[in-house]
Amino acid sequence: MLFEAIGRKSIGGVEDMGRFAHFVWESVVASFHSCFRPSSYPMIWAQMNLIGVKSVPVVMITGAFVGMTLAIQAYDQLAGMGLEEHLGVLINVSVVKELGPVLAAVMLAGRVGGALTAELGTMNVTEQIEAVKSMGTDPVRYLVAPRVLACLLLTPALIIFADLMGIYGGYFVSVCQLHINSRAYWNFSASGVELWDISVGVVKGFFFGGAIAVISCYKGFTCREGAEGVGHACTEAFVASFISILALDFALAVIFKGIYNTFWPLKSLV
Amino acid sequence: MADSDLENKVESSDGESIIRVKDLKKRFGNNVVLDGVDLSIEKGKTTVVIGPSGCGKTVLIKNFIVLLRPSSGEVWFKDRRIDNLPEHELNRVRMHYGFLFQEGALFDSLSVAGNVMFPILQHYKVTDRDKVDDLVRTKLRMVGLDGYQKYYPAKLSGGQRKRVALARAIAMNPEVILYDEPTTGLDPIRADIINELILKLQRELGETTIVVTHDMKSAYKIADRIVMLHKGKIIADGDADYIRNHSSEVVQQFINGRVGEDDLAVLKQSSSVAEVEFQPQDVEEE
Repeated sequence: MLFEAIGRKSIGGVEDMGRFAHFVWESVVASFHSCFRPSSYPMIWAQMNLIGVKSVPVVMITGAFVGMTLAIQAYDQLAGMGLEEHLGVLINVSVVKELGPVLAAVMLAGRVGGALTAELGTMNVTEQIEAVKSMGTDPVRYLVAPRVLACLLLTPALIIFADLMGIYGGYFVSVCQLHINSRAYWNFSASGVELWDISVGVVKGFFFGGAIAVISCYKGFTCREGAEGVGHACTEAFVASFISILALDFALAVIFKGIYNTFWPLKSLV
Repeated sequence: MADSDLENKVESSDGESIIRVKDLKKRFGNNVVLDGVDLSIEKGKTTVVIGPSGCGKTVLIKNFIVLLRPSSGEVWFKDRRIDNLPEHELNRVRMHYGFLFQEGALFDSLSVAGNVMFPILQHYKVTDRDKVDDLVRTKLRMVGLDGYQKYYPAKLSGGQRKRVALARAIAMNPEVILYDEPTTGLDPIRADIINELILKLQRELGETTIVVTHDMKSAYKIADRIVMLHKGKIIADGDADYIRNHSSEVVQQFINGRVGEDDLAVLKQSSSVAEVEFQPQDVEEE
């Protein structure tokens, strides 16, 4: 009985992974085609407004608090060693490389991912997705591709907003509240933060955005019937997106570190 | 009804068929919904599929358009087998169909006009928007809702939503229109309006009509042919008179809305309200 249950669960899991992989492939193909189909642009534009523009405030607030909190937490340790003027390096590298992208993506997974799953899930249970299909239209092309493209294009842009506000938040607390010399703060920041660090954070945004969109759309397309089914799908979408963001962050950190060490082997030792 | 009798009926109704299913089986997990259905739908006629709730009527018509793929068996549209086609080829076949879903399945985010023009905008490059607006007006006039173009589905009644969905289903002048429970959830007058609309569209457009319903009044009114499904199989197939006079007890129970002895026995065995120990007066109000 136990082995039977384990076997059944395993087969179910593998089947689900297969369906998800197929959905990802369909989404990638449909998104690629949508890029060259001008009739898709208005839908992509509308999704960019919903997903991107309306997320700007929440992402900026997240970034600002990350920067401010880092400043408060790190000050005592650095001040104890007389290195408080180096606070800017610590805050800004942390914000642009890790915390800004990851926390902005987590906020998007909650705000955008939940909305996408709920919208598509409701369309699924009210047969609207089948209606799209019945009229000879590919629902992945019509519903998923614009959302994936909007997330893919705008998550990096939103991360830049989060970074910006994180930097200003850290500066505000460090200089205005902790009275660190402004000039020294910026000088140390400029010497410690490279364009590479910012680029790594922004490039992560493409992966995070793609993961959030595809997972959320998949959960919406496969959600069970009823209000409970939609609610359950939203929860699953957020949890899966969150874990994917963390896993992708780790994988990308390893990859980017490898690339960095390949091209600038001595720099990391300095 | 004897099997040979049923076979004769199917053979005798074989005009120029537009949709055919052969030994169609559909199961969800261990639940067998369709169990070897053979059916040929005659072009230009109205076929009504009746049967108790959960007998597989909706699953059957979703197989006709391959919204669901059969577990085994074949689905043919005209001279082409379609159940094994890839999705992109199926999409071209589906342009010949119109599907009215049970609850309408209108897109909430689009207005009435947006819904009706949806299939046109998806399949044609529109250069003259006025022509599309005229087409939408024509389709809405056919269902008696011209002037509702700017309304959103949330503002419409159940009957109006179904009529808009019908206008959307006929927007591309399909050869086949599939209706899934078109009168369910409507009051008798609204239900009759839908019946009249189905007849009117059939007269004006001459398309093949397939209706799934358990509303016998509707079935008798619109059907050229009635097919009854029971436990995943066709148990009766013929015109309205044939079904009315059918010898099968199951058919007679269904068309006359009479509960069966088995169901009655279950009801009699269950506890009466008086025997239930917990009574409302036992509860103190908070």
